Amino acid sequence: MNVEFIHRPGNAAARLTLAENESVVAEGGAMISMSDNIEITTSTQQKAKGGFIKGLKRALVGESFFLNHFKALQPDAEVIVSTTLSGDMTTLELEGNRIIVQSGSFVACEESVDMDLGWQGFKSLFSKEGLFWLNLSGAGRVVINSFGAIYPIAVNGEYIVDTGHIVAFDETLNFQLSKAGKSWVSSILGGEGLVCRFNGTGTVWCQSHNITAFGRSLGPQLKPIKS
Amino acid sequence: MNVEIKGSPSFAYLDVDLAPGESLIAEADAMATMAADLDMHARFNGGFFSGLCKKLLGGESLFINEFTNRKSENRRITLAQSNPGDVAAMQLQGNKLCLQPGAFIACSPKVKLGLQWAGFVSGISREGFFRLSAGGEGMLWFGAYGGLIEKVIDGEYIVDTAHLVAYEPQLKLKLQMAGGIFSSFFGGEGLVTRIEGNGKVWIQTRSVPGLVGWLNPKLF
Repeated sequence: MNVEFIHRPGNAAARLTLAENESVVAEGGAMISMSDNIEITTSTQQKAKGGFIKGLKRALVGESFFLNHFKALQPDAEVIVSTTLSGDMTTLELEGNRIIVQSGSFVACEESVDMDLGWQGFKSLFSKEGLFWLNLSGAGRVVINSFGAIYPIAVNGEYIVDTGHIVAFDETLNFQLSKAGKSWVSSILGGEGLVCRFNGTGTVWCQSHNITAFGRSLGPQLKPIKS
Repeated sequence: MNVEIKGSPSFAYLDVDLAPGESLIAEADAMATMAADLDMHARFNGGFFSGLCKKLLGGESLFINEFTNRKSENRRITLAQSNPGDVAAMQLQGNKLCLQPGAFIACSPKVKLGLQWAGFVSGISREGFFRLSAGGEGMLWFGAYGGLIEKVIDGEYIVDTAHLVAYEPQLKLKLQMAGGIFSSFFGGEGLVTRIEGNGKVWIQTRSVPGLVGWLNPKLF
């Protein structure tokens, strides 16, 4: 699979080029266009991996219940995938390592990548990320998206990521919720409140913008929904 | 201090490298990521009273954050605004710049932030009754929703309401109808801001009220 990004970082889309018989798995609804030499099958699972339960679990985390499998019937088939929100996209390379992706950021992956739900503990409730995370393992390429630009940070020791800015991180990293400043008073008054304190050695991919903050600037001006 | 604006123009953010001993002032909640050993300290935006005024009247936060590097090597902090859009940098050397509510992102510690009465015209044209004015010496970063257009005005210029981001203080704002009565109310422009004088303005290519106006009829 060859991945080429267009229109980064504002309204990124990924052009996936497939060789004959190659397949790619994409989040339901991610495809925006494709060549006609591609066969789509929709399932609740990755082929020969897991099944209905995995689909249910995925639906629970805010990902789509269904996954679409795009299989190239001829050489040089292309699929263009993107997401609802404007923002950046990037690829992650898996070579037997594990990467944890914030649910909602997953777009597509090669079929050789294994996907399961992970649990990072109740701290996720307060981190403005989903409660569940996607654990990706195996070997292959993964396409992820973000709200805002994506930038990787090589962590060696400790690094602070504000809540709502995590896109993905190496499994070798761990994070704890903590205060942003020296004291709780300063953290809360300064508007930062809780932050995620990463420790270990590895990479964390962050998004520059915060969907909650943008929502807060829009929300009060939207009219209330009539019940 | 080494600052790079990245992700422009749609999702601009600031990568700031603070040298040992350096500080940076940033809008509350602007921090996205930072080195764990940077010092973060919240303080009133000006004094208590002035901070309160800025919050209630200027649309800014009551508190701002001061980040200080107390280590012996450079430390990085990444800042972003809440709206997706571009960021502009300006060097202040005793001159002043007026910022619309919400535009301020960060500044170096010697920049002074104050609040000024912007006038009824500014309030009615949805630009806020008060404006933030930045003075002193140092760097100032501010942002917008959408792209930023920098425009040098000599004489008169017209900006649609809610699109003005920043302007130099010697410029005067006036409110007027976009055209005649008919075209002002049916042409979709309504009221516009007339800017008079000599100086620079920054205009944003999108506006939050514009997005809200488009979204609201679709919610039911």
